[in-house]
Amino acid sequence: MAEMWISMGPQHPMTHGLWTLKIKVDGETVVDTEPDLGYIHRGVEKICESRDFTQITTYCDRLCYASANTWSHAYIYAAEDLLGVEVPERAEYIRLVAVEIQRIASHLMWLGAYGPDIGNLSVLVWCLREREMMMDLLQELGGSRMHYNFPRIGGVKRDLPHGFALRARHKLKLFLDRIQEYEALFDESTVFLIRSQGIGYAKPEEMINHGVSGPNIRAAGVNHDIRSSHPYSVYSELDWEPAVERSSIKGADCYDRYRIRVEEMRQSASLVLQALDKIPGGAETYHEPGDPKIIAKAPSRAPEGTSGSHHFEDSRGESMFYIAGGGEGRGKMPYRVSIRSPMFITIPYASKCMIGYKVADIPAIMGSFDPCIGETDR
Amino acid sequence: MRKVSEKVQLEAAEKLASSLNKMDGVESSVDVRTNGTQNRPIVNASVSPENWGEVAKQLKEKYLVDHCSMITGIHWPESSDKKWEVIYHFLRTGIRDPIIENGLVIPNIVDFSKVKGKDVPLEIQISIKIGDTRTPSVPSVQNLWVGADWNEKETWDLVGIDFEGHEGMRRVLNPHESPVGFHPLQKQHKLRYHGFEEMYDDAQGFMRKPVDSSRVK
Repeated sequence: MAEMWISMGPQHPMTHGLWTLKIKVDGETVVDTEPDLGYIHRGVEKICESRDFTQITTYCDRLCYASANTWSHAYIYAAEDLLGVEVPERAEYIRLVAVEIQRIASHLMWLGAYGPDIGNLSVLVWCLREREMMMDLLQELGGSRMHYNFPRIGGVKRDLPHGFALRARHKLKLFLDRIQEYEALFDESTVFLIRSQGIGYAKPEEMINHGVSGPNIRAAGVNHDIRSSHPYSVYSELDWEPAVERSSIKGADCYDRYRIRVEEMRQSASLVLQALDKIPGGAETYHEPGDPKIIAKAPSRAPEGTSGSHHFEDSRGESMFYIAGGGEGRGKMPYRVSIRSPMFITIPYASKCMIGYKVADIPAIMGSFDPCIGETDR
Repeated sequence: MRKVSEKVQLEAAEKLASSLNKMDGVESSVDVRTNGTQNRPIVNASVSPENWGEVAKQLKEKYLVDHCSMITGIHWPESSDKKWEVIYHFLRTGIRDPIIENGLVIPNIVDFSKVKGKDVPLEIQISIKIGDTRTPSVPSVQNLWVGADWNEKETWDLVGIDFEGHEGMRRVLNPHESPVGFHPLQKQHKLRYHGFEEMYDDAQGFMRKPVDSSRVK
């Protein structure tokens, strides 16, 4: 049969956003692929060059709607590196709580979207129900539902509100019970197992060479996690180890990538619970916004010729900001902001990963890598 | 949590920096930054564009730097010592495929408190400065780190720095039909809604009148 090229997207349920996957098929088998990105390129890096350091946080929130908090924190750590700010320990704990709750919400969004990808619609409703609990908690912290603009250079916007720790503990406990229901829903569904097992194999050494990181690489049986190999915040003071999945001999398949995310949600919940117990000053104390216990004074200008960068473990992999500061009398604004998007690097790899499988496997393989187009196109 | 001790990491960073220093056209040092709770040493190196191909090969094969995080291009039209700069961020992760025993995969759990030698995780930042030229270019590292492929595409697309030997260079974020030579992160392109004066005499024909010049931003 003659080979031909087909465009999947830009409007296709598989794509989780606007992009095109061009596939070359021989009958039902995929023989070549070519991703085509850039449909929602907003030029965030260019916009940041004419904003001052505090204004940029809002743009970073909007890089990814499913994981807004991790992105603004990724920026904040790079900006603090540039400006040389020392953050109070209490603020670091509050940030950890915010980021880990966001990670749960992001993985739940992924799990909810992955179900319909491979023919299990009811799981979407279940996951969004629990995601709502997480978003309520984040709303208490940041004030809005999705784009929180929560961290500040030098600390956080506001302290944990009264009763937050109580509600967070209660909700996370409920969530840890309900996670077992999802596992039952997925692991006992024959349709899910048939469609996710044995496809999209990926090996760790190949993945790291292709720049893939985060849950996708931990699914293949290695414990590479920026939070533990290059620790930041207060992760090193809590009792945890990166979640690692025992993959099959051929590498991690889509099922392993599902397992690792469920495991990470459990772990994030445990990290939040530990942080609420260990937070200096206690989780029930409240400091007014601007208190030196939760925010340190930060300079607004970066000297000429300085730069700051920080690797950060995003929900989807290693994200990173590089900021070149000052230069040529523009002290208040960065000269160049560069963003590493984990999915921008992973999508080309995931597209290569599906070569040799059937056309019907494409949504399962692509979805298992958790693509997010907002951060990819920036 | 088991983590790499600061001493081990600093020693590994200094070792890598001193061996990089011995290569031609490389100036390297260790920069210790603090991020709230701990010190993180970064191996900073400045490499001349002619030597970058060889240095990259050594980094990958001899010093086992296996992860290319990010490539950043910067246009410095008014700087005195450089007009273009390419910055590479690498991580040494030490990831190995898990071993298989009796048909069962044993997950490769690295105990970071015990790593040594070339397995110590490190951050590496390489900067390449390019002089005044209309066609800036550096050797491509796509064949060493496949992950650099799309980073290089992006850097060319947005900043206009070319990578010699890169296969399949094309627009990734800008539309495919963008004019040749249009690279929006070059500094001669200004944001239209920022300096209003620039906006009204722009060549792109926005025929709007200044409504309120105080409404900048």
